Amino acid sequence: MTAARSRNKIPVERPRQPAGAWPIGALRYLVAAVFTGFCLFPFYIIVTTSLKTETNIFAWPPVWVFKPTLQSFYNALFVFGGRGAISYLVNSIMISAVSTFLAVTLGAMAAYGLARFSFAGNRQLAFWILSTRFAPPVAFVVPIYIMVQRARLLDSHIALILVYTAMNLSLVVWVLRGFFAEIPIEIEEAALVDGYSRLQIFWWVALPLVRPGLVSIAILSAIFSWNEFLYAMVLTQSRAATLPVYLAGFSNSMGLAWGEYMAVGTMAVLPILAFTFALQKHLVRGLTFGAVK
Amino acid sequence: MPRIEFSGVAKSYPDGTQAVVDLNLVVEDGELLCLLGPSGCGKSSTIRLLAGLEAVSEGMVLADGHRIDHLPPQARDCAMIFENYALYPHLTAFENVAMPLRARQLPAQEVERRVMEIARMLRIEPLMARRPSRLSGGEKQRVGVARALVREPAMFLMDEPLGHLEAYLRLELRAEIRRLQERLGITTIYVTHDQGEAAAVADRIAVMSAGRLQQVGSFLDLLDRPLNRFVAEFVGEPPMVFLPAHRMTADSLAVKGVQIRLSERLAAALCATDDCHLTLGVRPTDISIMMPAPERLNGEVVLVQSQGNHAIVGVDTSAGPATVVVPSGGRPAAGAIVGLVFESEALHLFDSAARSLLYSRGESGDG
Repeated sequence: MTAARSRNKIPVERPRQPAGAWPIGALRYLVAAVFTGFCLFPFYIIVTTSLKTETNIFAWPPVWVFKPTLQSFYNALFVFGGRGAISYLVNSIMISAVSTFLAVTLGAMAAYGLARFSFAGNRQLAFWILSTRFAPPVAFVVPIYIMVQRARLLDSHIALILVYTAMNLSLVVWVLRGFFAEIPIEIEEAALVDGYSRLQIFWWVALPLVRPGLVSIAILSAIFSWNEFLYAMVLTQSRAATLPVYLAGFSNSMGLAWGEYMAVGTMAVLPILAFTFALQKHLVRGLTFGAVK
Repeated sequence: MPRIEFSGVAKSYPDGTQAVVDLNLVVEDGELLCLLGPSGCGKSSTIRLLAGLEAVSEGMVLADGHRIDHLPPQARDCAMIFENYALYPHLTAFENVAMPLRARQLPAQEVERRVMEIARMLRIEPLMARRPSRLSGGEKQRVGVARALVREPAMFLMDEPLGHLEAYLRLELRAEIRRLQERLGITTIYVTHDQGEAAAVADRIAVMSAGRLQQVGSFLDLLDRPLNRFVAEFVGEPPMVFLPAHRMTADSLAVKGVQIRLSERLAAALCATDDCHLTLGVRPTDISIMMPAPERLNGEVVLVQSQGNHAIVGVDTSAGPATVVVPSGGRPAAGAIVGLVFESEALHLFDSAARSLLYSRGESGDG
């Protein structure tokens, strides 16, 4: 009787356990932890070395617990070899910020134009912009060097800002063009009917709607400008040189002062890290964009 | 409020599509005119031309006699409601409604006052702090209506405003739209493909097909006096039945050899034409089902659809398929042979291709 009844009962769908009970879930976390640790360990070494005294750096077995000191940072920034890292840090910040700002501003306007106006050669123009990324940057080093030299801009901030802006621009245009194209056209038509001009619509309607895209592409541009080494090396010597150039020249001029070296390394990584963390929620929002209806 | 006039307006797209062909249409001051037609008939293009979202290819658009077709949209003072609401997703409902006022740089207090006034009118005050993503379809469209009304526009354009809404909301909102329009007296063009909606809100209805205006008139005009086969089929449910006929005597027609006696006035219309081959149009509600008889148009019942208090019956006659609406109680069984009897006062007479009307009820002339 009981058997018959249970057979006749409609099977009830039980809410499923979160994928995998404890052994599998724990295993997953373990694998993830090992992988993350593997990736972060070099970074950990850089940061801790920069905070150790020289004795502690070379101690064996390695010292895991120690009293951190900022002496290496101080030395690297202000004391070291008569010319510390501070001017390179300032150069890096300025060049990255200005070139990112220019690339995103100009790129957003170009992308909006390409996404919203139909004119002869629209697609060809967009493709040409993309095509500037087909060759590796190293292929253009010589022509760009000659151009910069002729313009008497060698070792100037403007040279690097222009080069970085140009390099980021194509990516900005392509990414934002996709974001703009995704805005339902009716929203902009509504704004037209509501009495806004094209420029006002770009500023008050389109840009806020692609903000996640703007943020993501700004982060990418900033990281690129911050990390770029090849052109910085070729186009600058001292006045406009950036942190990567300084880091590369570190060993041969000074022997190798590990504490200071790692302090500069930490300073080179931290701003990007902070920037990314600060804007992370916009990055995540970028993925859910498009839920307009 | 302006009187709007389309004069010889045409719109063609670069790919050769002719969205609107030689449109001549007047919308009177304060009138609510419905553009009715199947999708792709050019009705949306027509109001987009009026709003300035598309450029006219030929002809003129006039408001109170002044050309407006060269003006940019922001200079035309139209407010528009979109089928998919087109609210600004990054702004709250309040800011959405305020946008047209902010474009005119009204002082903040004035913006606040007018937005809240219109919100009260549409009963959306509690929603004003929400973003569109947290509003239901009906609420979104109310905000859309508020945004359109808040600045007291010269004309009001609605592109299938209720298309995405559920049936009960459609009934409610269309009554509300009509009430507001009457109260504010704004010249309004309302696009829809739903004749029930058009009948409910419109002063006059303009029927369009394939980019051409077919007929303009009240819903009853369109029902009783359709100018051609398209209007006759599109307006009225179920669609009109058409049967090929030819002249038999001075006051009767033959449909597949069956004599149909004509009313006096219909006979007069018959006299006025030289055509021998004609098309007879009958509304399914003007046909009744009887026992088959030699003097009746007989056929076999092929389909019976129950609609509650009435049923729609499909009958295959020798002259072609016919649809009949009968009370539920009197419906025949599928497969039965029945005879059809036409209400002689309610017949419509078209030329053989049914391109133009020769005679309809309520009208004596030659169409």
